[in-house]
Amino acid sequence: GMSSTAMKKKVLLMGKSGSGKTSMRSIIFANYIARDTRRLGATIDVEHSHVRFLGNLVLNLWDCGGQDTFMENYFTSQRDNIFRNVEVLIYVFDVESRELEKDMHYYQSCLEAILQNSPDAKVFCLVHKMDLVQEDQRDLIFKEREEDLRRLSRPLACTCFRTSIWDETLYKAWSSIVYQLIPNVQQLETNLRNFAQIIEADEVLLFERATFLVISHYQCKEQRDAHRFEKISNIIKQFKLSCSKLAASFQSMEVRNSNFAAFIDVFTSNTYVMVIMSDPSIPSAATLINIRNARKHFEKLERVDGPKHSLHMRMR
Amino acid sequence: MEEDCKPLLSPVRKGSYTDTGSTDSLDRAARRPFHVEPRNIVEDTPSERVTAEAAVLSSRVHYYGRLTASADRLLSPPDHVIPCPEEIYVYSPLGTAFKVTGGDGVSKNPSIITIFAIWNTMMGTSILSIPWGIKQSGFTLGIIILILMGLLTLYCCLRVLKSPKSIPYIDTSDWEFPDVCKYYFGTFGQWSSLLFSMVSLIGAMVVYWVLMSNFLFNTGKFIYNYAYNVSISDTDFGTNGSNRVICPFPGTGGDGRNGSGISAPCQLSDGYSGYYGNNTTDTDLFDRWWSKTNTIPFYLIILLLPLLNFRSASFFARFTFLGTISVVYLIILVTMKAVRLGFHLEFHWFDSSEFFVPEFRLLCPQLTGVLTLAFFIHNCVITLMKSNKHQENNVRDLSLAYLLVGLTYLYVGVLIFATFPSPPLSKDCIEPNFLDNFPSSDILVFVARTCLLFQMTTVYPLLGYLVRVQMMSQIFGKHYPGFFHVLTLNIIIVAAGVCMARFYPNIGSIIRYSGATCGLALVFVFPSLIHMMSLKRRGELGWPSGLFHSLLIVLGVANVAGQFFM
Repeated sequence: GMSSTAMKKKVLLMGKSGSGKTSMRSIIFANYIARDTRRLGATIDVEHSHVRFLGNLVLNLWDCGGQDTFMENYFTSQRDNIFRNVEVLIYVFDVESRELEKDMHYYQSCLEAILQNSPDAKVFCLVHKMDLVQEDQRDLIFKEREEDLRRLSRPLACTCFRTSIWDETLYKAWSSIVYQLIPNVQQLETNLRNFAQIIEADEVLLFERATFLVISHYQCKEQRDAHRFEKISNIIKQFKLSCSKLAASFQSMEVRNSNFAAFIDVFTSNTYVMVIMSDPSIPSAATLINIRNARKHFEKLERVDGPKHSLHMRMR
Repeated sequence: MEEDCKPLLSPVRKGSYTDTGSTDSLDRAARRPFHVEPRNIVEDTPSERVTAEAAVLSSRVHYYGRLTASADRLLSPPDHVIPCPEEIYVYSPLGTAFKVTGGDGVSKNPSIITIFAIWNTMMGTSILSIPWGIKQSGFTLGIIILILMGLLTLYCCLRVLKSPKSIPYIDTSDWEFPDVCKYYFGTFGQWSSLLFSMVSLIGAMVVYWVLMSNFLFNTGKFIYNYAYNVSISDTDFGTNGSNRVICPFPGTGGDGRNGSGISAPCQLSDGYSGYYGNNTTDTDLFDRWWSKTNTIPFYLIILLLPLLNFRSASFFARFTFLGTISVVYLIILVTMKAVRLGFHLEFHWFDSSEFFVPEFRLLCPQLTGVLTLAFFIHNCVITLMKSNKHQENNVRDLSLAYLLVGLTYLYVGVLIFATFPSPPLSKDCIEPNFLDNFPSSDILVFVARTCLLFQMTTVYPLLGYLVRVQMMSQIFGKHYPGFFHVLTLNIIIVAAGVCMARFYPNIGSIIRYSGATCGLALVFVFPSLIHMMSLKRRGELGWPSGLFHSLLIVLGVANVAGQFFM
């Protein structure tokens, strides 16, 4: 039989050395960056993180274009290994790179490999470190890169985002990526809206479990803070880091005062839910029961239209 | 125990904020959160104390700090991401906040420097018109009005100074008066305060053009007469002797107006007086090409329009000391003239005589108009007082500055008026520019004119720069939108000056109209209204205060009305 690792679908995070992948991975997945790995320079080996991202995807982090000979080796001998069973390819470009030709060359090599080994993979391109570009030039530069990338990527379709870890674009880009990877997301949203209206919640958020990226949300009225999703994600990830120091893991949280009550709880195998009730007279127990019942319903949804690969596995 | 008494946040040490955004990790005292979000989420306060961007950036910085070792600078915010020092506050969890003083912050001056700076800024060309103003309103009434206007404008200036502090919940430490107007009156307040500020600035620039033409003319005439040994006949009506005082427009009330008080454009003065020199045709030619109103205003364009188009005015700011020297020299000049001419005062209370004017005249609004501009500093007093070391002494220092300014004006005005040789000449002869009462051959006055000419040439581009910066920022958003925008603005300003110098070179009128107009908004109406509104919002508006401030507004309106009707 096939080893379990070979069966798991991958998320490839690739890009030139120094393009910001490790920082990005660390921020999105709340992984502590040990100093040693970076002092060695380029990521020598593939970084597997056994994070259950969107179910059972494994995140693999690759450096491309560090030392040319080194990369040639990997690309020729290990190529099929690397690019098989890929669900998602996320390629990171450093906007400040002086070697645009070389970057595009490596990108194209990756795309060829994807076409051969995982033609159904979704391709995302992140033009990163945009904070180093002057604000009034950012749109222009991103549009140029996007056109180039779209052209180079044919026949594959790539979705491009401009990102920086110092503004909201990183979180939004990854949220969009996650949104596109969830197979039945429209149905999830409809059900979420119904759920929220039934329990009379002010706002209901659905987070991806590992990264606390917002997959879907429903709000019944305008909220003041447009950045609240990222802030909540940051807060919970910090809390998770603190929990992990005690070898504990975060499961649920309830925050309440005289004006509101917020519940964060495990929802389905891939998601967390956050429910905000502005009527504090409704007892917590009632809301928790509602969430528990909804959980069963949403689990069924996920299992029925589950990720394609689990069906493939069964059929093979 | 000492640990318990240590403050929660270490006080900001000046200079400890490094230029690089990421601090040296070993310097633990310098690593501090740049923002602590107010945790009170219960109240629905309408005004956010920090921007949404700052709040979420703070959240990010907190989170990223947990992802690396404390000594690691990988995820430290770079320079361009951190707000500039002016936008950084340090909040104590107990609710107070203070600003990080940037490296090149405002330097603090002792009181005496601040007082001097205010005196220096306020002393403008209006000092030349004070004797005329006193003459227009009568000697006694003039002195009374000068003291009263000084007190009134001082009070309004204090109101302006205190207006940003009474705004709750917002940090107003870098606000100027137009920002306060914008807060209370919206865009209308912002635009109208800009407009009235422009009136005062452009009015000053027009006065400068007229005066520069005047001084250049007289200087040139003096040099020509000296070089060509032309002796001027005494065709100008004036006194005889070495301390000659002339009356350029005898019988027309000194500024070309007849006695009934209706203003008429002043007679075209091309400075022509009969010459009895050797080269009559040459002097005619000289007089034709060197004329105070016909040609010199245009010659000045060649000198000044290029200076106006300089991108930065910092070069001209070095010459502010010339203004002080000029004023001091004027005071010395006035003293010397007074000593030589002696006092000529007669008190006719309500009736005018041949040589004297009544002590109380109906033309007094002209003096109030001149004084409004003479005591005007309301558009920049907040900025000027910011550099005062002991802010608690602001009221005292501003009052002292106003006292000094008032005394200077009083000294010059009273002495010129009192020592004006009245038996041969009428007091009505006092010119809006009192230097015009001295012939161009007077050496002391020649020196004064040359000094003032030089000083004005250096201040004129500074004023133009101020106008440009304020107008361009409001209209186009940047200080220098383009060469042609700036050139157009400069041409408009210069054209205004040239037209006035050509057709209506009466600085007394220009000063009083522009003074009363800009004073209406920035001295009387806006400060009083804002004070009443802030009191009302706090529920502290009592009827005496409301009555007094409404009276101030009425006075401001009456001031403007008086210019047109008197």
